Amino acid sequence: MGSSCYFTFPTTYNAIRAEKILQNSSSCHYRMVPVPRTISSSCGTALRCSCDDIEIIKNLLIFHQIEYEHIHEVKEENKSFSLPNFLKKKRKKPDEQ
Amino acid sequence: MNNNQNHIYFDNAATSWPKPEKVYEAAEKYLRHPSGNPGRSGQALSLEGERFIYNAREKVASFFNISDPARIIFTLNATDALNIAIKGIIEPGDHVIYTAMEHNSVLRPLGNMQRNYGVTTTMIPCSHKGEPDLDFLDDSFQDNTRLVICNHASNVCGKIMPLPEIIEITRKNNAFILVDAAQTAGLIPIDATNVDLMAFSGHKGLLGPPGIGGLYVREGVSLKPFREGGTGSHSDRDQQPENMPERLEAGTLNTPGIAGLLEGINFIEDIGINNIRDHEINLTSHFLDGLKDITGINIFTPPDYYQNVAVISLLLESVDAGELGDILENTFGIICRTGLHCAPLAHQALGTYPEGTVRFSPGYFNTLEEVDYVINALSEIASLRKL
Repeated sequence: MGSSCYFTFPTTYNAIRAEKILQNSSSCHYRMVPVPRTISSSCGTALRCSCDDIEIIKNLLIFHQIEYEHIHEVKEENKSFSLPNFLKKKRKKPDEQ
Repeated sequence: MNNNQNHIYFDNAATSWPKPEKVYEAAEKYLRHPSGNPGRSGQALSLEGERFIYNAREKVASFFNISDPARIIFTLNATDALNIAIKGIIEPGDHVIYTAMEHNSVLRPLGNMQRNYGVTTTMIPCSHKGEPDLDFLDDSFQDNTRLVICNHASNVCGKIMPLPEIIEITRKNNAFILVDAAQTAGLIPIDATNVDLMAFSGHKGLLGPPGIGGLYVREGVSLKPFREGGTGSHSDRDQQPENMPERLEAGTLNTPGIAGLLEGINFIEDIGINNIRDHEINLTSHFLDGLKDITGINIFTPPDYYQNVAVISLLLESVDAGELGDILENTFGIICRTGLHCAPLAHQALGTYPEGTVRFSPGYFNTLEEVDYVINALSEIASLRKL
């Protein structure tokens, strides 16, 4: 159990600008991801990072005048996913049928 | 030799050909490799597409000395960009000024707005050399003048417009200036910081594929969206977002076209735009010099080739324009363009309406030998068809 933080943006253009700035001027770990369904955002791409790095990233975005919408903290639960039955069937090799 | 299937191509003002090898490769690569729809959700391919578009936007912006890439939008071509600009900024009851050298991509949207939206217009007359009457321009402003539209260079005679003076007069009279750079982008260095709106073609001087162009919209200039639809952002709302570039860029972009455009600009930067300009000036001056000895020829390109882009318009007294184009193509394999070139008022100014002219527009890949070949062909036709 842990949590991740997400920066959301008004447009994808801003999200990509943010990514570019972080690539060039920060050692923070981050990833561009689809916005989780628990978060509401104007654009479908969010920047996911460790919640410890929020201040550094926020200051970088402000310094470079990159508009973001919100910062969200999302708790992650350890869930094990299982494939739906119809996909399991589809993945069987012909000789196994 | 710029020669394919026994043709010599002299119609670069319509669309440039050939393209640099990397332009073909980039467009093909973009189609062959899996690529998502830029900006549509954060899935990996879509994100990759969005990163690619971002870099292309940055490249175009810096090419025109624009600091904020978000103010560049990608369009279908220069006509599309002009429609977005004209229909986005003009309100019913406004007054618009344009020059006699404008293309139908300006004249037709204005005609529509005149007929249907109560817009009034004033045309600035131009001399037979394509020079606009600047005093007339200064006297044409009214209280409701919102926009002045001017091309950077004529697609009929090649004349480069006195833009600094036109911009100054427009600023003094508190109107917006829209520049149509279809004939100059990629051929003459452009600093767009002084204009409000600039439309450009991606497939002419910028050497990209057909189907790509762009519009620069200065910070503080707000346009009503000409088309509305999906942007991948603010999807819950039934109206176009305010943010640029999404506000003016609904629908899936022409990514293979943008990929080609990017490589076209890279090519221009590698060669150096001033070297391209020098080569075109050489071709134009050589062309104009060679035409001097042909009897019965009328040339409608001003002789001061430093003030022109590489467009040479002419007529032979003894041969109809259309027929001359036909002979050049079918006997000599020379591709040029005849007629009105979608700019009827320009031909009225030059005195070539309604017949039009025969237009040769060499490009970076043409050679002096090819120009000689065209001059010899014209000379031969003129001597065989003496009046």
